[in-house]
Amino acid sequence: MTTAAIPHRRPTKPRWRLGKLDIVLALLALAGGIFVTVQVQGVLNYRWDWQVVTTFLVKTDPATGRIVPNLLLEGLFTTLRLAFWGLLLALPIGVVMGAARTSKRLLPRLVSGAYVMLVRNIPPLVFVFIVVFFIGSQILPVLGIGELVSRASPAVKWWLSLLFGQPSLIENFVAGVFCLALFSGAYVAEIVRAGIQSVARSQIEAGQSLGLSRLDVMRFVVMPQALRNVLPPLANQFIQLIKDSSLVSLVSIQELTFMAQDIQVLTHKVFEVLLFTGGVYFTICYGLSLAFGAIERRAAAMRR
Amino acid sequence: MISTHILKGIAATILVLGLSAPARAQSASPPPSQGKVIDQVKKRGKIQVGMASFVPWAMRDKQGGWVGFEIDVAKKLASDLGVELELVPTAWDAIIPSLNASKFDVIIGGLSITPARQESVDFTAPYSRSGVGVTASKKLSSALKWPDDYNKSDVTFTCKRGIAACNEVQKQFPKATLRQFDDAAIAFQEVINGNAHASVASEPAPTFATLQNPEQLFQPTKDYLLNGSEGMALRKGDPDSIVFLDAWIAKANDSGWLKERRDYWFRSRDWASTIP
Repeated sequence: MTTAAIPHRRPTKPRWRLGKLDIVLALLALAGGIFVTVQVQGVLNYRWDWQVVTTFLVKTDPATGRIVPNLLLEGLFTTLRLAFWGLLLALPIGVVMGAARTSKRLLPRLVSGAYVMLVRNIPPLVFVFIVVFFIGSQILPVLGIGELVSRASPAVKWWLSLLFGQPSLIENFVAGVFCLALFSGAYVAEIVRAGIQSVARSQIEAGQSLGLSRLDVMRFVVMPQALRNVLPPLANQFIQLIKDSSLVSLVSIQELTFMAQDIQVLTHKVFEVLLFTGGVYFTICYGLSLAFGAIERRAAAMRR
Repeated sequence: MISTHILKGIAATILVLGLSAPARAQSASPPPSQGKVIDQVKKRGKIQVGMASFVPWAMRDKQGGWVGFEIDVAKKLASDLGVELELVPTAWDAIIPSLNASKFDVIIGGLSITPARQESVDFTAPYSRSGVGVTASKKLSSALKWPDDYNKSDVTFTCKRGIAACNEVQKQFPKATLRQFDDAAIAFQEVINGNAHASVASEPAPTFATLQNPEQLFQPTKDYLLNGSEGMALRKGDPDSIVFLDAWIAKANDSGWLKERRDYWFRSRDWASTIP
């Protein structure tokens, strides 16, 4: 009845209806895929054997008979741990440095400016080597993390291995996380700076006229608006961080890419392992895209 | 491509920093010492061995554990010392900088003894010998005569970056193009695909690759391009530990244990069923 009241309104359609064009396009894509596959088979002398992937995904523990993760899954867990800690550290680094970039005082501006310029203008690979071999091998042993970990009780060790992976490799892992966080932090700082500068001057003045301190203006007025404005590029940067985590395989942190390379060397099954690894990264990053999409929609809804 | 140069630069820098540290600590060891590293290992009750994936020196079995010739050597060394063994899998490119950055105590990783490497680390006496073999593409190279026809500008060799065999190709076949890859599997795959004429690597990898791909690959020669000796590597400035390890290797040699293990991993393929 209500629809009759609005004559121009079109009948509601299902959002995903398959039209003729869709079918034609799907068939074309399929034909393209088959064409490429056939072409590849022509140039590539390769015996595909996807069993390599399943063998190294899970194994049955000979002692207990239970199914436990094998190299690829363990590598994936390490990648997820790297991404988790990397994101967790990169965000505060970026927010603080980004805020410092817009500061009125010279010192914070100089410090944050130097940090951003230094990191942004060094290739990531070189940065990884510098951080891991200098911070990792000069500073971390002094902190005695390895000592502490080896003396921890079994319960603590269980938590540590859940959060940081194999206890004996924690020092290396921490160096890797630092390196990712510092690297991404510089880009996040620039994104945050853009966000802060996108907030209208009048908003800050309004806050000041309410008698808020400079920190409170930042906390309650500027930052919420700034971060909401920069959600899309921030999502971009976090996805980039996950992909960059493959770089730390070069300093022997045993994440997905490192494990994949080991398996390639062993089995000579280069493409199965590479394609699988690519698929896994895609899944993680696409998942993160969806999550950020949801956050963006919520942020937009809160604005109204 | 850029990265190789950069890495070398960084490796050199790290090395300089790494070298200065042991030099300072040299005077402190007590008299009845078997060497700084060995003492440290015994005190800690654990030896950390740096190695990299390299068939059949060190490789993963189906359970994801490590097996191989080198793993046997490391295990025996640890049990003879009465300590626990901790293997530290390391990216091959970074294995020497990692040793100098004290990420582990010793490299037992199929590292051939060369004068250039001797500048950065100290080697023990060789515990193993190896040879660099070659495998070639049937499609591209079956008409070529070894070795003269391979020294032409239109011939392409592949190898894994950073191994001694790469330099040897440049020396023996200066006119040929050399393409270096991050891992041996891709270096072989390029030849299997017919994109390169031949690939070099430490035996028995070229022989195994040829056996696995009999339709695409053949071996133009069974002779070695280069004979190598592998030693364990320690950080510089620890002569007592080198003497200790030399003695251990001499004993393992005399008892026939090393030869028996070498025959098992390099001359037989009995182990093939345990790996995927």
